[in-house]
Order: sequence, then structure tokens, then C-alpha cells
Amino acid sequence: MTDTAAPSLSPLIHLVDDDAAVRDSLGLLIGTVGLRVQTWADPQSFLAGFDRASIGAIVLDVRMPGTSGLTVLEQLLAQGVDQPVILLTGHGTVEMCRRAFKAGAAEFLEKPVDDEVLIEALQNAVRQHVRSRERHQADQQARERYAQLSAREREVLGLIVEGLTNKEIGRALELSPRTVETHRANLFGKLGAESLAQLIRRYAALVDSVPGA
Amino acid sequence: MPPAWRHRRFPPPLASLLLWAVVACAGALGLAATRLQQLHAAFETDARIVHRLLSQRVVQHDAIMATLALLQPGAAAGDAASAAPLPRLPSVYPQILAVLQRTGQDPWPVPLQAELSAAEATSRRTGHAAMAALDLPAGRYHLVLAGTPASYALQIDLRATIPAEEWPMDRDRSLVRVTLEHGGKAFVVQPGRAGDDAGASRLRSYDFHKQLAAASQPLEVVALRSVGLSELPWWGMLGWCVLTAGLWAAGHALWRQRAARQRAEELLRLGQVARLNTLGELAAGMAHELNQPLTALLSSTQAAQRLLADDPPDLGTAQTALARAVDQARRASAVVGRLRRLVERPDLGGQVQPLPLPAVVQDALRLLQPDLAQHGVAVEVDAAVPDLPPVLAEPVALQQILHNLLTNALQALEQMPSAERRLRIGLSLPDAAHVALSVRDDGPGIPPEARQRLFEPFFTTRRGGLGLGLTLCESLAQAMGAHLALAPEAPGSQGRGAEFVLTLPTAPAAPAATSLTTPTRP
Repeated sequence: MTDTAAPSLSPLIHLVDDDAAVRDSLGLLIGTVGLRVQTWADPQSFLAGFDRASIGAIVLDVRMPGTSGLTVLEQLLAQGVDQPVILLTGHGTVEMCRRAFKAGAAEFLEKPVDDEVLIEALQNAVRQHVRSRERHQADQQARERYAQLSAREREVLGLIVEGLTNKEIGRALELSPRTVETHRANLFGKLGAESLAQLIRRYAALVDSVPGA
Repeated sequence: MPPAWRHRRFPPPLASLLLWAVVACAGALGLAATRLQQLHAAFETDARIVHRLLSQRVVQHDAIMATLALLQPGAAAGDAASAAPLPRLPSVYPQILAVLQRTGQDPWPVPLQAELSAAEATSRRTGHAAMAALDLPAGRYHLVLAGTPASYALQIDLRATIPAEEWPMDRDRSLVRVTLEHGGKAFVVQPGRAGDDAGASRLRSYDFHKQLAAASQPLEVVALRSVGLSELPWWGMLGWCVLTAGLWAAGHALWRQRAARQRAEELLRLGQVARLNTLGELAAGMAHELNQPLTALLSSTQAAQRLLADDPPDLGTAQTALARAVDQARRASAVVGRLRRLVERPDLGGQVQPLPLPAVVQDALRLLQPDLAQHGVAVEVDAAVPDLPPVLAEPVALQQILHNLLTNALQALEQMPSAERRLRIGLSLPDAAHVALSVRDDGPGIPPEARQRLFEPFFTTRRGGLGLGLTLCESLAQAMGAHLALAPEAPGSQGRGAEFVLTLPTAPAAPAATSLTTPTRP
């Protein structure tokens, strides 16, 4: 999971459209703002070949021969792909728009699309994706660190998160305040927390969600 | 939208055929039953008449005997005087063959002695005459009346008893068999033709039994009549069937005609719906086909703008982008050209044919008849020239133009009070080579600002109108060398009413007739 964090690579936009001229011009336009573009001529090769780990966004044409862009969007969602999807359509109907947002589209744009509209949508999408990836990564790290705690340390952590003092924790677990203090120091070290506030922000959710505490 | 036209089909006429069969059978059976009833009534009447006639005759025998008994020869009179009236009886009554007389202790003549004596004994006991020596097959018997001092016997021949003049039937040809029966023997009064179809084909049998109204001669009148199949009123029954079949066929034909007309109307409506659908498809296709190059064009030029705005400007890539933009502009233009060719009507010039305009007008009116009638529109067809030359036109296109013009007029008239709904169709010859067909309505008219734009595509004065009807008409007219125009406002009409004029080329007449039929104008 660490490979996606390579900050030196600029975000990658996947552009799926059956029309070569549209692919080339949109690709060129997107390239002018420093985003990398990978173009795909049909949904099948895109679904088979695109890099799911990449940071960026997906631009899908709705009207394509074979598989409609909406169907591709639904397949991506079903496969748990986390890149935001922007749909492009020649003539969008309300029904199509409704279906697109229900399937989780980030944006729904009409062709021909103005450069500023498209680029803003792409940049928003990329920002959203980067944030979601970072959040995901932090969650992952927290989970790994939490797994290193002993059972007693988890109990202590649970009570810390609930706002109890060392003395109160000692009473609750029938430990001496000194022992509590030792556990507290150990779990701060294992979890890499620098302050109580940081500890609570990162791990409160984990304490609640992981059973057996 | 469920297609309404699907619900109306031509069902097989089974139900109506069945109905016809039931009606035909019921009628035929009714006729047969009536005939049988008539035959029965006639038989009963004849049999009663026969019974009455025969009874009258045999009663006569009793009267004769009574008279003979009254004329008893007196003791003083002697044999000669008493015998005198006897031989004369057979000459007066042909049925009396002989008169026998026995006086005192004399015996009856030998051959019939015993029987006559027995009958005399019976007669003496009952007080009225008694039959003796009955030979029914031959129609002979004796009637004996015991008396004192003399007893009489009459030998009677039944054959001569039958009153031929008063007989109600033709005795040789009648189908009724009449017999007189007694003790199992029968005298055939009338043989009764058995008919050609005795036996299996016998339909009914009528019979009549009644004893003669004479106590002395207890003979039973028996009449028999059988009715064969051949006696049914076959011609009448057949006639009835043919008549109802004719009615059925006429009704069926009428219904078919109506259904066919409804179908034609539905097809017309369907055609209109289909055209609208096609138009929708066309618009969607056009949008997509044009959107692709326009998208590429816009993106390429905007990319070029951005590249040129860079510092330093990326001239090479910008040039590529602009070249691409040029390509896409050409592509869009090609799409438009292709679409134009696609929707262009094939040149109708090659498909024109000479057509009689009045007949075409009548066809169009007939198709719209239900609508015209429903809205109470009075139609006037005004042919200024009696012998209009045929016009050159493509039949379907002409029909479509006319239909559209009439429909427009009809819709304009719907806004008027029903008393003022008049539609005039004029046929005239503006010059030798053209025939003008005008459709004029007395509707609310066309506003001046709309008059200029009437033939523009998608221009309409109607809510929900597509604005293509007149455009289509005009292009159809042009395609076959005709011309459609809005007539200038009539002076004094105050903007009311609208008149469209379709000018069609006349068909060239046959070379020989040209000089004769073509009217010349300065």
C-alpha cells in the first residue's frame, strides 16, 4: 500500500472515448495543466488494463459502442475502484444524470465541454482522490500499530479515549496508578502518538470498531 | 403508448356465419313445421267430410228398409200387389243390387239362408236392421230388417255408395287411403297413393278412425296418410337460406368495407406518428454526430490557447492542436453535408404521372370525411373549368400535400363557431401549362408577421405544433416540379381566412389532341 504514496508522480487521468479525435484533443487539453493522461479507445481494454492503484481520475464518455459509460461506471463501483469518475455526454437527460449520480459519478458534463469546466472538475476530482487515499493510508497505519498493543494496553487505551484519568483507570481495572502510568507510556510509544489529542483523533474510531477490547 | 391500431383486426367471420346458420335453420324448420301443420289440418278436414258423406249414404239404407217395412203387404193385398215396388228399387238406388222378401214361414233363398236368418233374428231382437253375409273386400253385404208378416233384405254394393261428385279428394291421385273396416276386413274406398317415398323417408303418419253414424251398419271409417320428406317445402326453405345468406354476405361486405376504411385512417395516423419518431431519432443522431467533432474542436482550440499563453509558448504543440481543430471543423461540416443528403427527398421528377386532379381531391376528402363531418365543416369544390387537363404529379406526394393543407384548414376552422366552418377547394387553369388547386378556409387567418415565415422549418403558430407540415409540403411540391404558395390576403377579408395555392404542371396531352384541347391565352 505504500507504493501509491510516491509523491514525485503527477496524477494520472484515464480518458475513455471511442472517438480518436476527441481522445487526442481532450488529452492535449488536460496535458496543458500538467496532468498525465492515459487514453483508452474502448471500455473493455480500459477495464482490463488500467492501473487501479494510480492517483487521479477517470473520464468516461457515456455514448460508446458496446458498453455505455454508465454501465462501465456501475462496474467500476462494483469492483471497488476508488478513482472519481467524470461522465461526458452528448445530450444528457435528467434520467441519465440521476442514474449517473446514483452510481457514484463525481461529475456529469455535457459535450462539447469548456476547458475551464473540465479542468476544474478534474482538479477537484484529483484532490478528492488524493485526500481519500491519504486518509485510507493513515487508517491502515493506525490499524497496524493498534494490532501491536497487548490486551491490557488496549483496555487502558479504551479508558483513556473515554476521558478517564490514570487514577480512575487504576480503580476501574484494579491496578495501581503506577502500573497504569507504565501501560500509558508503552502504548503512546507503540502507537507513535505525541499528544493525548493526537491519540484520541487517530485511535478513538479503532477502539470502538475493533472487538475484544 | 399502446398502439391502438393493433386491437382492430379482421376476425374470421365464424361468429356471424354461425349466426347465419342458426337463423337459416330456424327459418327452414319453421317453414317445414307450418307445412306439416297445414297437411294435418287438411287431412282431418277431408277425413271428417268422408265420414259424414258415407254416414249419410248408409243411413239412407235404413230409411229405405223402414219404408219397405211400412209398405208391408196387407193380408188382403196378395203377393202380386206387394211385389210390385220391390224390383224398381235397384233402378232408383244403384247401390242396391237386389231386394229379398220373406213372408210368413217361407225360408230365405238357399245360399244365404242361415246368415240371413241369423241377421233376421238379430234384427228382431234389436229392433233395427242388421248386416249379413258381409264381404268387405268385395264391398258387398246384405241388410236385413225383420218384419211381420214380411222381412226384407237388401243386397248392397258399397262401391256404388260412394258419392263421387261430392268426394273431397281426387280418388285416384290422393295420398289419403280411406277404408271401411269391420271385423278385421276392409273395403278400400280410396286406395291412397303410397307416394314415391314410402318406408324409410316417411316423416309423419296421420290416421283417423270413426264408426259410421248408422247403428245398423257398424263400419269403421279409417283414413291414413303418411307425409314423406319430398312433401316438405324444399324450395321455400332453400329460398329462405339463400335470402339470409345474401343478407349475411351484404352485411359482411359492409362491415369489411368499414373496417378497411378505419384501417386506412389508422395507417395514416400511424404514418404521422412514425414520421415524428423518425424525426426524434434523426435529431438525436445529429446531436451525437455533431457533438463529437465540436468537442474535439473546442478542446483543441482551447488547448492551443493555453499553450500559446505559456511562458515560453509551446508553439509546436499549439500548431498541432490547431491543425487538429481545422480537421474537426471539416469533419463537422461533412457530418452536416451527410445529414442533408440523408434527409433530402429523392427527386420525385422521375416518378410523376398524369393524374386527374378532381379525383385526387375527392380521394383526400373521403379520407378526411369523418373529421369533416365531426366538426360540421361544409366543403365546397369549385371547378372553374369543366374539362380540367390531367396534372403531372407523384401520387403519394400530391396526396400528402393535399392532406396536410386540408388538415391545416380543418384545424383553423375548429376555432370558429360551427355555423361558419366553410372550406373551399378551387380548381382553375391560370395558364395553359398549369393547373392551380386552392384550399381556402374561413378560419381566423394568419397574422401578418407569420405570413413571411410560414414555410420556415420549425415555425408554427399552433401550440405543440412541430412546424414542419408546410415545409414538407413545399419541398414535396418542389421535388415534383410544382409550387406551393400562400395566396395574398383577399381585400376586405380583414385578416380572416387563409388560402394556399398549389400550382401543378399539366400533363402534355397526346400529340394529336394538343392543338384541340389546349386553350390559348394571350
